[in-house]
Amino acid sequence: MSWQDVAIVGPLVGAILVAIAILLVDLVVPGRRGPALTVALLGLGLVAVLTALAGRTPGQAFGGAYTVDALTTFLDLLFISIVGLTIVFAPDYLEPRDLPIAEFAAVLVFALTGAMLIAASTDLLVLFLGLELMVLPGYLLAGFAKRDSLSTEGAIKYFLLGSFSSAIFLFGLAYVWGITGTTRVAEVAAELARVAAGGAALQPGLALGLAFMTTGVAFKIAAVPFHYWTPDAYQGSPTPITGYLSVGPKVGAFALILRLFVGALGPLRADWLDVIIVLAALTMTLGNLVALTQGNVKRMLAYSSIAHTGYMLVGLAAYAGGRQEGLQGLLYYGAAYTFMNLGAFAVVAALQHRPGVTSALETFAGLGRREPLLGILMTLFLLSLTGIPPTAGFFAKAYVILAAVQAGGALSVLAVIAVLNAAAAAFYYLRVVVYMFMREPVAETEPQRHSSLVWAGLWATTVLTIVLGLVPGPLLSVVTDAAKALTS
Amino acid sequence: MTIPEVIPIVNVRWDDILFLILATVMIGSALLVVILRDIIRCGLAMMVCFGALAGIYVIAGAPLVAATQVLVYIGAISVLVLFAIMLTQTKAAPARLVFQTQAVPAALAAVVLAIIIALAVGSTDWGAAGTRVRTATDALAKVLFQQYVLPFEIVSVLLLAAVIGGVFLAKRDEGEPL
Repeated sequence: MSWQDVAIVGPLVGAILVAIAILLVDLVVPGRRGPALTVALLGLGLVAVLTALAGRTPGQAFGGAYTVDALTTFLDLLFISIVGLTIVFAPDYLEPRDLPIAEFAAVLVFALTGAMLIAASTDLLVLFLGLELMVLPGYLLAGFAKRDSLSTEGAIKYFLLGSFSSAIFLFGLAYVWGITGTTRVAEVAAELARVAAGGAALQPGLALGLAFMTTGVAFKIAAVPFHYWTPDAYQGSPTPITGYLSVGPKVGAFALILRLFVGALGPLRADWLDVIIVLAALTMTLGNLVALTQGNVKRMLAYSSIAHTGYMLVGLAAYAGGRQEGLQGLLYYGAAYTFMNLGAFAVVAALQHRPGVTSALETFAGLGRREPLLGILMTLFLLSLTGIPPTAGFFAKAYVILAAVQAGGALSVLAVIAVLNAAAAAFYYLRVVVYMFMREPVAETEPQRHSSLVWAGLWATTVLTIVLGLVPGPLLSVVTDAAKALTS
Repeated sequence: MTIPEVIPIVNVRWDDILFLILATVMIGSALLVVILRDIIRCGLAMMVCFGALAGIYVIAGAPLVAATQVLVYIGAISVLVLFAIMLTQTKAAPARLVFQTQAVPAALAAVVLAIIIALAVGSTDWGAAGTRVRTATDALAKVLFQQYVLPFEIVSVLLLAAVIGGVFLAKRDEGEPL
C-alpha cells in the first residue's frame, strides 16, 4: 500500500470518518440535532469534494481490487446526494416521534460507505462486503421506529429475506470463483471471455452460479418475483427512510450489477440476456398493476419503485442485446429516479410531520388548497415519475426504451411493454394529483410548518428534476463517460 | 508406522470415507435444526452441524479455517445463541413453530434444488479447483494481509456498523419498563 493507494481510497476513508465523527459529536452533546446534522452535512460535502478530486486521476489500488474511474465518481456523487438529501428530509419527521437523529445519520453514512465500496470495487469479495455494508444499515433503518410494530415487522421481513439473498448471492460467487480461480473482476472477465470465445457450451456449474447470483441481486433490487419483502418493509419504515430505501440500496444494487454482470460476467451476456428480459417485463408489469390498486400513497410508491426497477432492467437488457446506450440509459435513469422519487417521498414525509397522520390517499385530499406549494411540487414529482416532458423522468424513460428499440429482436417487444406500462402508471400517479386538487379534505387540518431544511431539500430535488428534463446534455455526457469506463 | 492412503480391501481413500461420515452428520444435524420442536435441542444440533463442518475444513486442507470455525462458531456463536434462547424464552411458547406452515412444499423445493445442484456440480469440469491442496497458515496470512487486505479492513467497518445498529435496537429507552 502506497500513498497513491491512500489518495485513491481517500473518499471512502473520509466517509467512514464522517460516520464516526457524527457518533463522537453525539457523545459530546447528546440528543441535539444541530451539531450532528452540521457534522453530517459538512462531512458529506467534504467527501463529495474528495470524490471529485480523486475522480480526476483514475487509478487502481490494493492490487486491482479497488478502482476509481468515471463510473465510480458518478455513482459516488449520486450516493452522496441520496444520503445528503435523506439526512436533510428526516429530522422534521423523526423529531416529533422521539427518534434519535445522530444514530440515524451515522448509520446512513455507513450505508454510504458500503455503496461507495460497491461502486469502486473490482474484486468479487469486496463487492460482496460492500453489498453487506450497504444493506445492513438498511435493516436497522427499516426498524428504526422500534416501538412501532409495523416498522419492526417490515424490518424483520427485510432482514430475513435480505440475509438469505446475500447467502444465495455468495454461493453463486463461490461457483464463479471455483471455475475461474480468481476473484479479481478483470481476471474473471478475461477467463470467461476465453470460455465464451471457445464456443463451448456454458458449464453447468457456471450456469448455476449465474442463476444464484441473479437471484441474489434480483432480491436486492426488488425485481418480480423476488419482491415480496418490499411493500411491507417500505410501508413500515419511517417515511424519509422509505424514501432512502427505495433509492439508495436500489441504485447501489444496480452499481453491483454493473460491476458484476457487465464488468465480470460481460463475456457471458448472451447467456443472461433472456433472464433479464423476463425479469424486466415481469417487474414493470406486476409493479404497475399492483400499484394501481393501492389506497396508501407510501405503499403505492413502493410498488411504483418496483416498476421503476423494471425500466432500469430494460436498459441493462438493451446493453446485453448489444447497445452501449442501454448502460447510459440505465445510469441516467438512476440519477433521474433518485431525485424525483426522493422528492415525492419528502412531500409525503412533510405531510406526516405531525405524528398520527397516515400516508393514506385521503391525507392528500385538498392539499392543493391547504398548502399549494407542496401540492405543486408533488405534482411535478409525480409527473416526472410518470415520464411526462419536460421532466427528468421523460428522458430517463426515453433513453432506456430507445436503446431497447435499437437493439431490436425480443428487445423491441420489451420496449413496447415498457411504453404500455408507462401509460398505465399515469393512472395511479395522476390519481394523487386529482385528490390534491379536486377533492374536498375529509377533515379540515391546519397547514403545517416545515423547516427551512426540508424546503431546501425539496427545492434541490425540484430544480434537479426540472433541469435534467430541460437540458439532459451535460448529465448524458457524464453517463456516457461512465459507461465507457466500464466497458472499455 | 504410516497409515496407507487407501483402505486396503474396499479400495476407498480414507479422506473420502471421513468426508462422507462428516457430511452425513452435518446434513443430518442441519435437518434436525429445522425439524425439532424444542428450540434448545435445535441449538445443540446446530453445534453438532458446526463441528462436522470444521471437520470437513480439515479434510479440505484448511486447518486454520477449521480452528476458527471451532473457536468462533462452536465456542462463541452457539453459546451466545443458547444464552439468548435461555434469557428470552417464555414458558408459554407456541406448540408449533410459526414458520413451519409450509414445511412440505419447502422440503420438496429443497430436495429438487439439491438434485439440480448435485447434477450441475457433478457434470462440471472444475479445473484447478478439484485438486487437493494443503494451505499453510503463513501462506494464508500473506494472502489475507496483502492481496485481500481491503476486504479484511472492510469487515471491521461492517462490524462497527452492525454493533451500532444492534446497540440502538437493543437499548432500552429511559422510563421504558423492563
